Amino acid sequence: MKLAIALAAALALGALPLLTSSNYIVGVGVSALIFTVAAAALNLVYGFTGLLSFAQLAFWGIGGYTSALTVVTFGGTFWWGLVWAALINAAVALVVGYPTLRTNRHAFVIVTLTFALLATLVARDWVSLTRGPLGIPNLPPPTAFGHRFGTTGQFYWIAWAFSVAMLAFLYALCSSRIGRTLVAIKQNEPLVRAQGISPMPYKLAAFAIGAAVTGAAGGVFSFHLGIVDPTFLDFYYMQTFLIIVIIGGTGSFWGVVVAGMALSALPEVLRFSADLRMIIYGVILVIAVFVMPSGIAGWLRERRVAEMREALARVSSTPGADMGGPLRGALK
Amino acid sequence: MTIDAVYLVQLTLNGIALGLLYALIAVGLSLIFGVMEIINFAHGEFLMLGAYAMTFALPVLGLLYWPALAVAIVAIMLFGFMVYEVLLIRLKPEEFERSILVTLGLSIIVIHLMQYLLTATPRMVDTQFGFEGVEIGSIRITWTRIIGAASALAAFAGLYLVLRYTQFGRAMRAIAQNREAALMVGIRPRVVARNAVVLAAGLCGLAGAAIAPIQLVTPYMGQYLIFKAFALVIIGGLGNIPGAIVAALGLGLVESWIGGFFEIVWQEAAVFVIMIAVLFVRPDGLFKRGGMRVG
Repeated sequence: MKLAIALAAALALGALPLLTSSNYIVGVGVSALIFTVAAAALNLVYGFTGLLSFAQLAFWGIGGYTSALTVVTFGGTFWWGLVWAALINAAVALVVGYPTLRTNRHAFVIVTLTFALLATLVARDWVSLTRGPLGIPNLPPPTAFGHRFGTTGQFYWIAWAFSVAMLAFLYALCSSRIGRTLVAIKQNEPLVRAQGISPMPYKLAAFAIGAAVTGAAGGVFSFHLGIVDPTFLDFYYMQTFLIIVIIGGTGSFWGVVVAGMALSALPEVLRFSADLRMIIYGVILVIAVFVMPSGIAGWLRERRVAEMREALARVSSTPGADMGGPLRGALK
Repeated sequence: MTIDAVYLVQLTLNGIALGLLYALIAVGLSLIFGVMEIINFAHGEFLMLGAYAMTFALPVLGLLYWPALAVAIVAIMLFGFMVYEVLLIRLKPEEFERSILVTLGLSIIVIHLMQYLLTATPRMVDTQFGFEGVEIGSIRITWTRIIGAASALAAFAGLYLVLRYTQFGRAMRAIAQNREAALMVGIRPRVVARNAVVLAAGLCGLAGAAIAPIQLVTPYMGQYLIFKAFALVIIGGLGNIPGAIVAALGLGLVESWIGGFFEIVWQEAAVFVIMIAVLFVRPDGLFKRGGMRVG
């Protein structure tokens, strides 16, 4: 049922450029699709595995720079740029992730954060490779089978195909046995060890896959913007991904996807100044953490459980009825 | 490459000054982590606000250095008090990820509010000392730098005395070393946590106020420093105050030397490379963590 709705929504979104001729709306659509992919990747790492990783920002930036440099400096195609973005990010994630995941979760958060800020500084200061603050402008539009995806409307198809493919991949991963193992690691790591499963390869794989997907998303986004410069690593992106995951509900795949589409479109529609928008994002983040710690998906789940409890109470208060037995067991 | 002795001494002195600044920030982070087991992401913003407080207080007080410094420190301590009472008091010790997200939100709000109100234009501020300094041979150091370094050292000495000999400090160490036992002897964790946050904010306010006459003041100045401070607390061992000070001084020297001889990108990358190397060898940081100790 969920899958049918998702498929219908994906097809409807795919038709967006046919419904409107406004480049602006289609541009917002492109951002929403790519941000949703990046947020879903963060959800894999934070929501499912329980690792609060700020390195996603660095992977996003490395992905943007890698694909831009592949095309501009090394003369490759856009598609190879995405492949390299994913591969390099996965490799970087393994190198950074291995020593970091051996430590406690406190150190993990701080190391990934430092790594993200380091990436910003390197983008700015490694002038011979990244061209420093000037960035790499005029990225050429991608081509495939002799067709040139020059306009925003045409680029939208690429972003759409990319995000549908990535979300399908992440969904398959999250709902597989691997996904369940990741959740188990988040909830009770000693128990996972006791079952004879080593958590390290799973954590490392989740971190690397999240990095690769985020990197490829950054690559697509850099060609949407047409330029890569150090502002591509602005903390704004990390905050957006985090807010999407937290509002959507950590560990809820569809909650994050829906929140991603809604929250990427919302600030564009409201048209705040950049600073005011960030202030509002900050306030939302603080309030969401205190008021809705498990996001909208978590809130809906809690309400459903509460309704079932009420129904259970009604049933068991009726004399002679013993229907509550198995249900009560399920709710424990 | 011949190494000029004077140049090397100059780099070393700059490195010590930089290291002391890092230490002021890192010690505050360590103190808060030791007592509350949370990380204050907005710590860099405390420093930034301290620097702004200095730029506002100095012209009002007729460029007098010491009163302005005192005003800035008190202002940031008050700010720290408010942050604790409004936000941090709602966090429990095991909610590490939430503490990061909440203080991250605070940091975003503060940075962009300052930028919204005061624009991103860098500010400069003059003091009664101007650009006067001491000259030893061909090495020249301005008074503002010397005073900054001296007040940092004085602050560490004061912190040591407070933590070691006062009831106020003993309570902090007790909570950090054994929370349950501290509760049993009647120490109130919230009061101690509030004291720790205010004290850490004061150190950060001092760092910000001391740095304001030396470099440009912008809303983003805290962000560039805070991530190095994060790395330092990891290198020194989470919650370990002497470890953080040693790591900070070491990093200041290393960065200054690297900056003198290599490209700037290596200077920025040094802290991260060192941190990853340390984590490979000693996952708990260079100095083993065993509660908060001062001696």
